[in-house]
Amino acid sequence: MRLLRHLQHWLTGQGFHIAVADFVPETHPVRQWADTFPWVALVAAVDRSFAQRFPTPTARGRAPVATRVLLALELLKHELHCSDEQICSQLRTDLAVMYACGIREVRVERSQGHFVLPEGLAQFRRRLDAALMDELLALQAAAAMEQGLVSPAHLVVDTFPSEQGSQRVNDAATLYKAKKKSSRSLPTSPSSALPRARR
Amino acid sequence: MRRFGRQCRGQGKVFVSLVRQTETQLLATGQAVVGLARAAQECVRGAAHLTEDQQGRWATQLTGALAAHHQIVTQSRRLTQGKLLTQCKIVNAYDPTIAPICKGKSNCPTQFGRKPGLIAEPASGFIFAFALPVGNPADPSYVVPLVDKVQTAIAHVAGRPTLAIHSVAGDLALNDSKLRETLHGRGILTVGIPQTVEPLTPAPTPEEIRTVLHEAGLHHQRTPHQVQLACASGYSRPVVESIIASLLCRGAARITYKGHRGAIVQIGMAVLAHNAATVRRIHQDRLSTRAQKFRRLLRLKRHNVNEFNVPKN
Repeated sequence: MRLLRHLQHWLTGQGFHIAVADFVPETHPVRQWADTFPWVALVAAVDRSFAQRFPTPTARGRAPVATRVLLALELLKHELHCSDEQICSQLRTDLAVMYACGIREVRVERSQGHFVLPEGLAQFRRRLDAALMDELLALQAAAAMEQGLVSPAHLVVDTFPSEQGSQRVNDAATLYKAKKKSSRSLPTSPSSALPRARR
Repeated sequence: MRRFGRQCRGQGKVFVSLVRQTETQLLATGQAVVGLARAAQECVRGAAHLTEDQQGRWATQLTGALAAHHQIVTQSRRLTQGKLLTQCKIVNAYDPTIAPICKGKSNCPTQFGRKPGLIAEPASGFIFAFALPVGNPADPSYVVPLVDKVQTAIAHVAGRPTLAIHSVAGDLALNDSKLRETLHGRGILTVGIPQTVEPLTPAPTPEEIRTVLHEAGLHHQRTPHQVQLACASGYSRPVVESIIASLLCRGAARITYKGHRGAIVQIGMAVLAHNAATVRRIHQDRLSTRAQKFRRLLRLKRHNVNEFNVPKN
């Protein structure tokens, strides 16, 4: 009910109802993926953290988009390898994405341009911090352990390198990419070029 | 082509004199910046038309800029004087938490980025925790914070009070005597961390098991069966690579979010998405033969295909 109240500004279309859960098959990968999350615990942790760190002095103004929707969008963005714009656009048209965001019923409204703006998603992300991410992961791990799906008895530790993205292109990155491109453009093996030279 | 600095490995030439000349010019150019920044700080303090929030924001930004400048100046002075750097080189003036990292390939230049660490279950690939320290610290420094995070997650479990970490495995980079002592002190076996390049014994003899328990001093805490399992589930490069590959394809390969906090959020979201996909695979019983065997030995739940799939939320 609370979720519906938050999304009221785009769920009150004039068209007919679509029951999202009835439309998305149970074998759909996104549905199965979304059903594995302990959403109630995750959303409560995010809300608690935001309330402590960013207290809202007044309840005036339009209700924000629900945490459940924004958190699911952020996760889906990584699962489906999308940008902010792409995932927000998919939420408008893809019923499986709606299901993953916890939306069970929508009204058809062709004139509605968007459900959630990418700017809203960026603002939500800006409020996440290291402690909250650790808590979310601990809650997910605890849920999996409680169901008896995984065990922490024998663990493996390792590290991996993560390249810095192109926020600001530096000389080293340009040089590395140029080198990679030039090596790609070269003939793959000298043996393939050799017969031509012989002719 | 002329290049600055040197390559990680390979035959790249080092242009020391050119580096020193450039650093000297940069120091001379940046000398005026400190005075200007301090004058700006004074102006901000005395500006009556700015609100408290605005003043605070500007003051924080100027202090951050001065601190970054101080770090860069220190680094430049050491380079011009021909001294070794005490820590990783600053590679981005806007984000000093980025460090040079090596990808482990021969003949490639040093990459700039971050080095996340993870602790995972080798059977299914479920990641229990991740760590993203500032810079590029040694691998053993990752282990204790990661183990702490797993124990925090175990504390969240209400229904199964007997859960505990029995062993931790890793590659040769984790071979550190202090780390072993710390883990043994917590009742955790370290048989999965190799001491040489020799391969680990997957099926140890009773004598070897007794030696392991004796060395760790865990006779009363760990059983021979747990040692056997720890040896069998030791570090396996293909297993770890598959977990890392899953994270990389979920956006952990390139950090595009800004700053250290942004990197933590991006890696964290990728890990959460990966874990959900892993749980989905466990539900569908799509696991390797090795993983299925381990799950049987660990007495983990097998998905009942006849169970009615009802969403919980």
